[in-house]
Amino acid sequence: MIRYYFASTLISLSFVGVLHAQDGEQLYTLNCSACHGVDGKGANNGVFPPLAGSEWLEGNPKRAVSIVLKGLEGPIEVSGKPYNLAMPPHEAAMDDGTIAAIINYVFNAWGNSSPKVAKDVISVTRAEHEDRESPWTAADLLKIYPLPKQKTVLKDLTSRVYKGQWEKIPDFDKIQSENVEEEQNGIVSLSLTGMKDNFGVVWEASFVAPEDGSYEFYLQADDGARVILNSKMVCEVDGLGPATPDRSSTGKTDLTKGYNPIRIEYFENNRNQDIEIRWKKAGTKQWDWLTKKKKAQNKATNIPLTPSKDKTVIYRNFIEGTSPRAIGFGFPGGLNIAYSADHLTPELIWSGDFIDAGRHWTNRGQGNQPPSSKKVVTLANSRYLPKEARFKGYSLDPNGNPTFIVAIGNQTLRDSWKPGETGTLIRTLTVSGGESTLEIPLGETGLTESSSVTLLPDKSTDITYTLK
Amino acid sequence: MRILLTSLLLTSSLFSQTQSDFYTREEIPLPEGEIMEISSLALMPGEKVAVATRRGDLWICSGAYGDDLSKVTWEKFAHGLHEPLGMFYKDGSLYLSQRPEFSRLEDTDGDGSADVFETINSDWGINGDYHEFAFGSSLDKNGDVWIALCLTGSAKADSDWRGWAVRITPDGKMIPTCSGLRSPGGIGMNAEGDMFYTDNQGLWNGSSSLKWLKPGSFQGNPTGNKYHKLANLPVPPEVKSGSRVLTEHLKYPEYIPPAVVLPHGDVGQSPTGITLDKTGETFGPWKNQLYIGEQTHSQIQRVCLEKVNGIYQGAVFHFLEGFEAGLIPLSLDNEKGIIFTGGSNRGWASRGKKPFTFERVKWTGKTPFEIQTMHVEKDGFTLNFTEPVDPATAADPANYAMKSWTYILQKSYGSPKVDESTPTVTAAQVSPDGLSVRIKVDGLVRGNVHYLSVPGLKAASGIKLWHPDAYYTLNEIPE
Repeated sequence: MIRYYFASTLISLSFVGVLHAQDGEQLYTLNCSACHGVDGKGANNGVFPPLAGSEWLEGNPKRAVSIVLKGLEGPIEVSGKPYNLAMPPHEAAMDDGTIAAIINYVFNAWGNSSPKVAKDVISVTRAEHEDRESPWTAADLLKIYPLPKQKTVLKDLTSRVYKGQWEKIPDFDKIQSENVEEEQNGIVSLSLTGMKDNFGVVWEASFVAPEDGSYEFYLQADDGARVILNSKMVCEVDGLGPATPDRSSTGKTDLTKGYNPIRIEYFENNRNQDIEIRWKKAGTKQWDWLTKKKKAQNKATNIPLTPSKDKTVIYRNFIEGTSPRAIGFGFPGGLNIAYSADHLTPELIWSGDFIDAGRHWTNRGQGNQPPSSKKVVTLANSRYLPKEARFKGYSLDPNGNPTFIVAIGNQTLRDSWKPGETGTLIRTLTVSGGESTLEIPLGETGLTESSSVTLLPDKSTDITYTLK
Repeated sequence: MRILLTSLLLTSSLFSQTQSDFYTREEIPLPEGEIMEISSLALMPGEKVAVATRRGDLWICSGAYGDDLSKVTWEKFAHGLHEPLGMFYKDGSLYLSQRPEFSRLEDTDGDGSADVFETINSDWGINGDYHEFAFGSSLDKNGDVWIALCLTGSAKADSDWRGWAVRITPDGKMIPTCSGLRSPGGIGMNAEGDMFYTDNQGLWNGSSSLKWLKPGSFQGNPTGNKYHKLANLPVPPEVKSGSRVLTEHLKYPEYIPPAVVLPHGDVGQSPTGITLDKTGETFGPWKNQLYIGEQTHSQIQRVCLEKVNGIYQGAVFHFLEGFEAGLIPLSLDNEKGIIFTGGSNRGWASRGKKPFTFERVKWTGKTPFEIQTMHVEKDGFTLNFTEPVDPATAADPANYAMKSWTYILQKSYGSPKVDESTPTVTAAQVSPDGLSVRIKVDGLVRGNVHYLSVPGLKAASGIKLWHPDAYYTLNEIPE
């Protein structure tokens, strides 16, 4: 018996990759864990989207099945955090049984709990989206499978609206409320009050704690608010001001599993109104919301590039307003150019900050990045040199100032740039070899004295670009 | 039962082989505070290593060969490059395959940083799509550089020569050379000087694989086939979605099947750089074998190749693992026996948890018990081992388990394993020196990957194989 057991283990172990073993965990580890993490928290410390606790797995299981089948690309928010990546489709590589095994593992791993999905759901979903050729975008998917309504831990939520003009949270017990309403959706919301300026609200409910323990609360408000649990004040933001993280308050309190009375007091003086309340079990990461869940700001990482005191900075990447073979130079003194190695001419010139590399140096680096300044002048946007002209690269002087080199038949065009007096760039153009003169357009921009220049062989010409 | 288990455990630990017994993997300290998502490596004279990054920086590292890696120093040679994915050193210059061009960088004034950025060729198209990577080789026997051009978004051909491998001649001309590429991850030569690249699983690619860039060949993905007309080349016949590689190869011989399929999931998920072991002396007994980087699994696999009926094929074995990020380039210094490798997991996740890494691997001088090579025979395979096998376990056909399968050639992304079969090992004959075993196989399937697993086979010394699995791609069966 023992011997038989060992023999069969060995055989099945050696052929995990071959047998259509419907072991969801194994299949998940093999196919999915590189990005989503063995622990479902998203690989590389959450650089990739988590599946543990993801709202995208709740409600209609066809949503998750559709993502596995077709893949998904572009911006998406998962558990309050924005992502912009691409998941490949798996419809061709995995059969229904494999997908069902993976889905059912993910639906019930790491604290997730969703009902088991039958294999038929995979084949039905497959058929329903047979015609879709591209991966999903989050927006397309939500049109078909909206996310479930926000869950709430507030039971028997009521709201009372008060009228009055305050600069601090008033003693609401001493004021007569205008009304009392039951808020069946269990979400603390100002929009339901219909009020604009000079009012207050008190919400009361039972906070249904999932277990005994310490809980953490986060509050920000425009203008003032406080959160009281079991008659104990947990957070408070008082006085007038905007709802921002630097006017926020966090607090901890012990709750017992089940019903804990909660009271939220709020007032608005004038202009903007807002309240945001989140909670979590102390020591955990994931916040839940008592107010309507806010979309995370898709904050780009800023990596501004700046020249040093005496040396240029170079950025070779996709720069908006010029062609894909763009070469950006930021000069000391705050002037910048983008040269197009496709069109063999400088195309953009601007003053102010150079460029932000955050778009291209994070995630997969999609798209074109505009210069960091609004004062961009277009010098050219097409090629003017004859067809045989070829880009030959650039050289740098000790300060990193460039000379772009173009071969035109037996002639070489050198196009050098360096900072001049404040607010100016000096461009030196030379054509060498051969006998032909060369007409160079300088752009109808008013930045130079004339809009074109004729180069004589082996004689250099200086042009000054002045930017105010 | 408990006693039995304990003794089994003891036995296995006594006889188990671990990577650190054979190979020493070390992280090389990077310049402090720098984001070094390594995309290219070049070995330079004087034991220097040039390292370029996805952000376009190029640094030169001194001390990466040394015993004391804390003494490593770095000098910045250039910045502002456009995602270089391929670099080599020649006669005082560094040559780079950048996204938009093939270029030469030189420091002419001797101040330690490049001042010449010569564009040697930029005749292929780019349109701003992030996926239009250009992976460049070092010089081939003719002095040409080969550049493998990824499809637009890895799915379309919206810029000229996407899905092609082009050659750049010493005088800067571009020669479109092979079509049918999808999403390359690296490019390099074998011992004969023939060019290979790794292509990633996806559209028209049932599994990732190592492919031979035979000049004039078609590699299976028809997306870039509109450019044949641009070069006045004959267009390959239309590939039928749902077909098999072998079927299409028989119809159109210039459709060269993948030399070695790297079964998706089993072996890796994103193969990358290629480096050749020329000596078989400095890094273990793997003469003329290729080491292949793996981005998702943060590993290096080992490949042995052979040519049968004019077509390359061979086996892939698991080899080195545990790297700190997804590997992209790797380069073996054949003289010193050091593999340098680096990588990044920005945008594409990896098992290695760090966002980027620079590492080296040295051979300890101790050879693991491994299948050294796997050669096809007309009715089976010959397995060569790194040390004599135990005749009892090695001669028992029951110790050799095989499976075979292939993938659908289709326009959809990837493929399940299909046409599965169970070839049977009917005889195993051990050579007198115990270093090779000739196995006879009933049911070889041309066109299929043949997966061999021999966990029960022991060396004469009693140890088991470090890696008991081999995946042989059987494009041709010899007469």
